[in-house]
Amino acid sequence: MFKTPISGILYGASKVSTKLFVPSSGLHATASMKLKEIHSNKVGNKLIIEGAYTSSPRKDYLIQNNGECCPLCNLGLDVKHTDVLILSQFVRPDGCMMPQRITGLCKTQQKKMSKLVSMAHKAGLMCNLAPENSKKDPTKRKLWKKYNTYFDESTIKVYESHFKTIKENILLDYMKSRKSEN
Amino acid sequence: MSQLGRVKQWNTFARCWHLFDAAWQNPLECAPTIEKYLKGLIKPIYHPLVDCGDHVVVINSKQIAFPGEEWRRRAYFHHTGYSGGASWTPAWELHDRDPTMIFRKAVYHHMKGNLFRRVVMERLHIYPDSNVPEEVMENISNQIRSLRSIPKTLDSYSKDEIEKYPKIIDYPEDFILTKN
Repeated sequence: MFKTPISGILYGASKVSTKLFVPSSGLHATASMKLKEIHSNKVGNKLIIEGAYTSSPRKDYLIQNNGECCPLCNLGLDVKHTDVLILSQFVRPDGCMMPQRITGLCKTQQKKMSKLVSMAHKAGLMCNLAPENSKKDPTKRKLWKKYNTYFDESTIKVYESHFKTIKENILLDYMKSRKSEN
Repeated sequence: MSQLGRVKQWNTFARCWHLFDAAWQNPLECAPTIEKYLKGLIKPIYHPLVDCGDHVVVINSKQIAFPGEEWRRRAYFHHTGYSGGASWTPAWELHDRDPTMIFRKAVYHHMKGNLFRRVVMERLHIYPDSNVPEEVMENISNQIRSLRSIPKTLDSYSKDEIEKYPKIIDYPEDFILTKN
């Protein structure tokens, strides 16, 4: 994921400048789809490189989150492992789950979603989200993995105390709003 | 007798043929429903000594599904009769050898063991895929409703459909979407 080919123009600049485009710095030389794009212009002897923001492809279809808890808790959805249109939102194009700092979910939901994603992968429902050189067809897997499997979502542990705090918060909010009305 | 009543009477006294699609179905869950049709329990004239059962044709038995780790954990026991002749075969290994055997065993073991069991089992026709001989297919007059819905894969949705589906989270501003 972190190997970046260097375009012809930039390679000519210097060896030191290539270090800039190591992904640890958050910059990439070439990309078709990313939120941050790098533009390079050559004016005379000077090479000007600038990072520009692009708009997110999800911008128009995003559900607004007005509550205090995370977007999933707020919606109150009962997500199953077969709901691939929801689960694919938390997944990178190579199929791995995105970390909590990117998804912005709470700890419980993050754990639950990552288990559901792994279930969907094992059932072969998101076979096009996989590393490039992998066998994408689930029927060509080895041993028992090639046969159809489904999962029971009740096997995922849910920590009750977390939901208790959410309920308490909702109650407290309700009390506050009542007080302000009076 | 009304027209509907007459057809009901025909169906009761004739041997009907039912079709069942086993794709993404758990054979252990399907066994009770298939047993009903095989023994004729759905008919008002049913009696254990009356031979009023129907035929059931099961297709796509290679695509049956098991929950969780059942493919690895479920073992089928066989004993040759000689000492040291016991063997335990995992379900996936048995399915490799014969894709119809797990379904047949599931129905067979669900039924009560008596002298009619093997007679009733003769009316169950299992095929690993949808290639069914024509002389069997022409008899079929009814389809048994499947118990479990077939899950939809992500690549079956169009690109536009995935893009326009309501999104729960958005990417942070400095997120890099794809590798290069």
